[in-house]
Amino acid sequence: MSVVRLDAIRECFEGLIPAVIATADASGMPNVSYLTQVQYVDPQHIALSWQFFNKTRSNILGSRKARLMVISPLTAAQYQLTLEFLRTETSGSLFESMKAKLAGIASHVGMSGVFQLLGSDVYRVTEMHCLQGAQVPPPLSTLNRLAELRGCSERLRECRDLAGLFDETLRCLNEKFGIANAVILMHDAPSASLYTVASQGYPESGVGSEIALGEGVIGVAARERTPIRISHMTSEYGYGRAVREAWRGSPMADALALEIPLPGLPESRSQMAVPILGCDRLMGVLYVESPQDLRFTYDDEDALVTLAAQLAMAMHIMQGQEAEAVQPVPAVQQAPRGAPLLVRRFAASDSVFFGEDYLIKGVAGRVLWCLMQDFAQHGRSTFSNRELRIDPRLRLPDVNDNLEARLVLLARRLAERGAGVAIEKTGRGQFRLNVERPLQLVEVS
Amino acid sequence: MTVPANNSPLLDAGQIAFLRGGVSISVGSCGSSGLPQLVRGIGCRVADDGSQVTIFVPEAKSQQVQRDIFANGAIAAVFTRPSTHRTLQIKSRDARVTALNAADVALVHAYRDAFVEELGAIGFREDMVRTLLAAPDGELVGLSFRPTEAYTQTPGPNAGKPLESGA
Repeated sequence: MSVVRLDAIRECFEGLIPAVIATADASGMPNVSYLTQVQYVDPQHIALSWQFFNKTRSNILGSRKARLMVISPLTAAQYQLTLEFLRTETSGSLFESMKAKLAGIASHVGMSGVFQLLGSDVYRVTEMHCLQGAQVPPPLSTLNRLAELRGCSERLRECRDLAGLFDETLRCLNEKFGIANAVILMHDAPSASLYTVASQGYPESGVGSEIALGEGVIGVAARERTPIRISHMTSEYGYGRAVREAWRGSPMADALALEIPLPGLPESRSQMAVPILGCDRLMGVLYVESPQDLRFTYDDEDALVTLAAQLAMAMHIMQGQEAEAVQPVPAVQQAPRGAPLLVRRFAASDSVFFGEDYLIKGVAGRVLWCLMQDFAQHGRSTFSNRELRIDPRLRLPDVNDNLEARLVLLARRLAERGAGVAIEKTGRGQFRLNVERPLQLVEVS
Repeated sequence: MTVPANNSPLLDAGQIAFLRGGVSISVGSCGSSGLPQLVRGIGCRVADDGSQVTIFVPEAKSQQVQRDIFANGAIAAVFTRPSTHRTLQIKSRDARVTALNAADVALVHAYRDAFVEELGAIGFREDMVRTLLAAPDGELVGLSFRPTEAYTQTPGPNAGKPLESGA
């Protein structure tokens, strides 16, 4: 039996050149069919998309044997694989990942609505042969992902706070992997959603924008805790409308203003969302995209999954950091002068508006409102994460409160708004609220 | 669809022209163990009435397919045009391995040019396509058969149905 190492020929499964499958019925009559999708599972397993009840499927269910021919898009080498059918999966990470990929393929070839995944058929590959014949010399690889990943890893190791970690991750993606468009989102378990804390390569950062678990490429990756990679443009997994949907029917008069658009390319042709997992906990999603078709490969997916694992670990460590022992002396800032800033808070959604403009909502909205109250009523401007965690007004969850990440988000929203209110980190677990204008706080019930 | 009682051919003129064009050709056979086998075709000869088809394949890459066909004559061949996804499959139980003549070799050369053109239009490099279809003229064999079943396999609701005239 030949050695089967499918990981050595993963480029064959990227979908550039269709695979061909041969099966046979009980009478020995062969059947040949082209395949839309062959999914690499591991070095000895692949999955094929089951979309129709056809001859191939009926033969497979009968004999459980098949032969597959795949072609390397790099060298034109032809590989013949012998398959043994194991099972069909109709839910879970493999199914969702193939379903998303198929939506991209379908849209690309004008078959949206025709290609629909009924199941992921998993096969063991028992033999793998490269057919003798001419090959094109493989193109010189210009990217050694393992070396670049090590470089990223070393740079992330040097980060000392969450904001720096997010930014460095995005810079690494750009400089080491040439991925210019990327977003980091954090998971908010109570609301079953994700919120943007950092992005790169967009006219608007989109910090503070939200997406529900299960919505679009990002939401599905989060819900299924599996990377989702789409190699062609598809509207099926578009996420632009998700936020609008989330607020539809909201009784709030200002509902539409609460929408911060998610950052995204107008014509995204390749997308990949990688869950940021710390042990078994979903911490967020790293999302990358490109205007090119087929931009991200299996190797890119490996690299980003590995990078996300380190990101998760670093986030976990940094989120747990507290100011030790010494509580900051509450500094009292002199009352600012100038035109007052009208700050309205809608209690129902904890949303905060500066003037007529929506700023932030949810936990970050509650945090900001409390800080501003303390500032307005007591002149306080320095705070610690530790005291926020136990502040009953904030109603933070007991564990995994993501407070650090929410402060990063809040600081960025404030900086982008430029309304004379800012959060400045002053040390580990400590920060200052800088206010340049008098605040006029109005609570709207 | 099986051959009707009057033995009239399965394929109409448009379908014959399709098989003769720059389309991707894959051939399947089935061994005694029930395990199928595959080889890529490099052009074909189709009788004007569609009653006889010969698919040209590289000798070295088709050894097992030749053995299977010698043993049982069963063959399936699928033809697809990458730019449109139009696909049809023909089958037979009377296939045999044949030698090529000079006119067949000319068909192989013309097929390569046509397939290069077809794939070039959707972005594939010529050297890739020619490498995929490479085989010395003297190392080709023909797989000849009278199609007795034909199916449309263009993706969609009719995929897998017996071929109809004009499809």
